Amino acid sequence: MAAFPSASASPSLAMSASTWRMASLRAALPSLRPSPAGRLRSSFSLAATATAASVGCLGSFSGLAPVSNLLSLGAENSSFEHRLFGIDAHGRIVAMRHGKRIPRLNRPPDQRKALLRGLTTQLLKHGRIKTTKPRAKAMRKYVEKMITLAKDGSLHKRRQALAFIYEKHIVHALFAEVADRYGDREGGYTRIIPTFPRRGDNAPMAYIELV
Amino acid sequence: MARLVDPLVVGRVIGEVVDLFVPSIFMTVAYGPKDISNGCLLKPSAAAAPPLVRISGRRNDLYTLIMTDPDAPSPSDPTMREYLQWIVANIPGGTDATKGEEVVAYMGPRPPVGIHRYVLVLFEQKTRVHAEAPEERANFNTRAFAARHELGLPTAVVYFNSQKEPANRRR
Repeated sequence: MAAFPSASASPSLAMSASTWRMASLRAALPSLRPSPAGRLRSSFSLAATATAASVGCLGSFSGLAPVSNLLSLGAENSSFEHRLFGIDAHGRIVAMRHGKRIPRLNRPPDQRKALLRGLTTQLLKHGRIKTTKPRAKAMRKYVEKMITLAKDGSLHKRRQALAFIYEKHIVHALFAEVADRYGDREGGYTRIIPTFPRRGDNAPMAYIELV
Repeated sequence: MARLVDPLVVGRVIGEVVDLFVPSIFMTVAYGPKDISNGCLLKPSAAAAPPLVRISGRRNDLYTLIMTDPDAPSPSDPTMREYLQWIVANIPGGTDATKGEEVVAYMGPRPPVGIHRYVLVLFEQKTRVHAEAPEERANFNTRAFAARHELGLPTAVVYFNSQKEPANRRR
């Protein structure tokens, strides 16, 4: 009959285990970064804001979190340091980069966004620019997104484009001329041509141009 | 795989300026001590003087050299495609461009906005050509010019890029 007490004990234990929430489990883990700056490696998606919000609001919930030395380790404001592991959107710990397709461009997310905004503004202004090949490949998505917004042409899309491109006369010129330029073309509005590497650091360079 | 594609096709020179051709003549273009390779970047100040264009070929044959800019005034808005820079006709084979007749005077690259391509096209002439200079340099058409003087497909093409130098010295 020793089995029965354990059998009766385990369901109750299981039931109390199921009432534990993901949130409290995450709070029990050592919090590496108290600031929700999208460190969990997904910059623009909704998952980033959800996980960042949940980790961020639990940063203050220090009841279950272990001691303050870990919090002080995470409180240093360094964006470039090598994290040993991260937490994905499902609450799992991952140490590898498998399946992550966002190019990080050696920059924290705010600088990365600013770099891509500046590059697309310059490409739309000049028509052809020369930059490093990874930057050219990363910028394609945003340039084509801007051209797609311009093809739609409504006020809402115009305001969305104005929020991304730094110079408003470029947005207005783009919305004016995109119909006759790219009206028939479905996608593929840019072209990348590799060229000689840069002399100073041998970085592979490429021209990116609007079709 | 990318190395097998002709740089002229990748740079869209074949398609926008000329049609697909089979190169039959060697042409070397040199600005000062530097030779041009397809797609190299040159400063407008380095290309201000006419280059030394040496061609191979038989002494009896005559060749025509045309230099245009297909990205005028801006690569994103090429309303003046192509902008004529230079025409030299009746160049004897095996010599250089100074031995021909300059139909249109050389104008160095002066790109106002963006990075422009400057294309040098060499045609083989069937007979001696008496070419008249077009009225304006803008909106030139290389294919139409070749059709008018029965030049056929080009025998050699090379292109380089150039962009406006900023007023203060870059790094």
